[in-house]
Amino acid sequence: MAKIGVFVCHCGENIASMVDTANLVAAISEHPGVEICTEYKYFCSDPGQETVKRAVREHNLTGVVVAACSPRMHEQTFRKACAEAGLNPYMLELANIREQCSWVHTDKDEATAKAIEITRSLVEKVKRNNELQPISVPVTRRAMVIGGGIAGIQAALDIASAGREVVLVEREPSIGGHMSQISETFPTLDCSQCILTPRMVEAVQHPNITVMTYSEVESVDGYIGNFTVKVRRKARYVRMETCTGCGDCIQKCPVKKIPSEFECGLGNRTAIYTPFAQAVPNVPVIDRSRCTYFKNGKCAICKKTCQIDSIDFDQQDTIESIEVGAIVVATGFQVQDTSLYGEYGYGRYKDVITGLHFERLASASGPTAGKIKRPSDGKEPETVVFIQCAGSRDAAKGVKYCSKICCMYTAKHAMLYAHKVHHGTTKIFYMDIRAAGKGYDEFTRRAIEEDQAGYVRGRVSKVFEQNGKLIVRGVDMLLGRPVEVEADMVVLATAMVPQPDAKEFAKKIGIGYDEYGFFNEAHLKLRPVETATAGIYLAGACQSPKDIPDSVAQASAAAAKILGLFSREHLEREPVVALVSDSTCAGCWGCVTACPYNAIDRRDITDRNGNVIKRVASVNPGLCQGCGTCVSFCRSNSIDLAGFTEKQIFAEVMAL
Amino acid sequence: MGIQVQFRKEAAELLSSGAVKLVIGYGEGSTPERRRPVFVRTPAETERLVLDGACVANLSTYLISEGLLSDGKNVAVFLKPDGIRSINILAAEAQLNPEQVVIFGFDIENGEARPLAGRKASDFTQVVEAAKAAGLSPELQKEAERLDHISAAERFEYWKEQFSKCIKCYACRQVCPMCYCRRCIVDVNQPQWINTSSHTLGNFEWNIVRAFHLAGRCVACGGCDRSCPVNIPLRLINHRMAKEVLDAFDYYAGESTDQKPVLATFRQDDPETFIL
Repeated sequence: MAKIGVFVCHCGENIASMVDTANLVAAISEHPGVEICTEYKYFCSDPGQETVKRAVREHNLTGVVVAACSPRMHEQTFRKACAEAGLNPYMLELANIREQCSWVHTDKDEATAKAIEITRSLVEKVKRNNELQPISVPVTRRAMVIGGGIAGIQAALDIASAGREVVLVEREPSIGGHMSQISETFPTLDCSQCILTPRMVEAVQHPNITVMTYSEVESVDGYIGNFTVKVRRKARYVRMETCTGCGDCIQKCPVKKIPSEFECGLGNRTAIYTPFAQAVPNVPVIDRSRCTYFKNGKCAICKKTCQIDSIDFDQQDTIESIEVGAIVVATGFQVQDTSLYGEYGYGRYKDVITGLHFERLASASGPTAGKIKRPSDGKEPETVVFIQCAGSRDAAKGVKYCSKICCMYTAKHAMLYAHKVHHGTTKIFYMDIRAAGKGYDEFTRRAIEEDQAGYVRGRVSKVFEQNGKLIVRGVDMLLGRPVEVEADMVVLATAMVPQPDAKEFAKKIGIGYDEYGFFNEAHLKLRPVETATAGIYLAGACQSPKDIPDSVAQASAAAAKILGLFSREHLEREPVVALVSDSTCAGCWGCVTACPYNAIDRRDITDRNGNVIKRVASVNPGLCQGCGTCVSFCRSNSIDLAGFTEKQIFAEVMAL
Repeated sequence: MGIQVQFRKEAAELLSSGAVKLVIGYGEGSTPERRRPVFVRTPAETERLVLDGACVANLSTYLISEGLLSDGKNVAVFLKPDGIRSINILAAEAQLNPEQVVIFGFDIENGEARPLAGRKASDFTQVVEAAKAAGLSPELQKEAERLDHISAAERFEYWKEQFSKCIKCYACRQVCPMCYCRRCIVDVNQPQWINTSSHTLGNFEWNIVRAFHLAGRCVACGGCDRSCPVNIPLRLINHRMAKEVLDAFDYYAGESTDQKPVLATFRQDDPETFIL
């Protein structure tokens, strides 16, 4: 026999002012199976919870309904109270008579009648509830960080320093990411390399961190606490174990005129190369597509040069399978291709460059050793025009969003230019100056006031060449007239966009992405670090445009989430998961394609001799999030959701 | 050589060589204008096979009989383009292995049957493409549009009247190749979501559920419509659902053996955010 306790909460005045709780109690007390029904001002308070617990013990209740607020608010509170009183926590239901009743109605009689209906339907449901046990999942306490930029490095260091193993996977030959390309950083103008390289070295030397460079994630299987990641280690053709990084091979390599990706094409590299001098690990790779030996079997000068025989032309890609419990995705961003603005002449005029190019020109380790020289003839530009939002905030041609960092780095560029070319002039075309951040507005003011950055509010319509000058034609909106500037160099503040293969990657590992390819967080405000896939976290600009401080902060947040997960050997998961009825499943696999979490597999049912007699769908409780998509899809009605079974829902509906 | 003679001969060859264990085709019906399915297991029996303009039933529905294909042996079947699309869907939904199905493809033009080239489902890609290009049936479209132009209340009255005739015989379900579930949702009684009695509510529930379960899967073979003993115009419901998925998702049921189900495929870039 069901013995249900119903506890009607006033929620102060929130419920009691619109619902006649005495009437509600009287009506529910009459309902079959209700053992006890009482009301109280605040059941979520300590004495309120005590009342519930005492009633459970004294009346040997088999189920509890708290008629109060949304389950989002206090389901956990009352589940805990029930458990403490010895009742299975899943024998509790919250009847929401606040958000769905008292708050949204103005007629007390009608609201009371509705509250009675809602409460009665939950009584009927709880009568049919089953005792559920939490699902225990073992946790592999090792993390993988995908992407070795500043975000990835930070996340790896934080997890490793707390004593957990980390595998850091980077697809380029060196870790460091975009930050290693940057000259100085706003708002303090400290040298990017100087603050980054110690972190890179620390990561590679950390006993808990395994760095896998020149490696890419092939596939991710499994679920929170139990992922299996396949990583392709691309052939470097240089033995990591023995190479000392002396660089002789690089010096001797005869193929020297390859535009360097790291220098954005402003400098050259050889076929065997490290992307930059401070590369970590300091072990070169051979670019197979450009190497003479791989083209025609001749040359092999690097092999002859190497005194410790570290060149191995026969190396093959290898695939490693790594077990991890959590994953941080920190795959970063790319700079948008600016050729979509034909009118700015990017690609046509050598001296129209992007902000990232400018970073390399201003960098002490760059192709010009930090001297600002324009690409066309190496002359020092006298006038530099910066065009902000060259792609961002432009729904027609570029991207709709603000790339967030361009206002700041443009101010920084103007400042660096003023420091390096004292007699130079800068003009910055801008839409707004967005400088929200600690010390940011002060920084842009400094650029204007101390370094004479010439801000012009308006858009540029055209850049063209005339008599060896770049003519920038635009409008000064504040003065309300057209302007023309004769420039020696034009710097475009291009948009920050996701990696070109971001969407493909997201599908591969099973996380969501937005229309651009930035990865989706579970909740923009309250769960900004998690993805909707449990156990996979985000850090840095792969989620949205971010500057260095934001990337680092998010990386540490992701690390904190993972360390929380790793604090226990087993993970307890809500038992609200889907179950398939083997006998009626028709094996159409519609649920397999419908599941957003890849939680459903095919399972063979065999006879005693091992012959397959039927294949049915099978839900992995470790992955299932209990969303119910498969339940609503299944045509043969063969899937049920624990805690929300059809019988329970049906009883709930029929009680209305 | 006429198509009937040709198909009989080829069917006999397939049976005598053991390439197929069974040929499902058409035979004489109870009246001259009707044909009924025949199941031929020996070369001699192929004389019973008939093929002409009266052969309209979608015979693919017999392929999902429990255990028919589980021995791995092949079965040949006479199919019009709609039946070939059914094979594609059944294969996509893992109900049969298309390699086991030998297709005698034909189409009916001006009351005459003419052969279609090919033997496997994948051979008929162009036939299916042509069917998609030709669009949904214009006659049905005309009939359906009449309902589109009346008010919602009138339309509801129309269907209420139509469904009031339903006797819950489930002939529409039995004839449909897509209704392969071993236990249909109407047979679930714990809890009983769908009223089994043939009153207005129960009849609405059954017919609406049926329509939803066929959205993006119906090939408009007309089997349900023909089999309905009380002449409910089920074709109009099916047509409407097919039109919806075509207009909304550019989805034409049964295009290939690996076509993803339109209403049961989660996409990461789904514009609706309520799932994740």
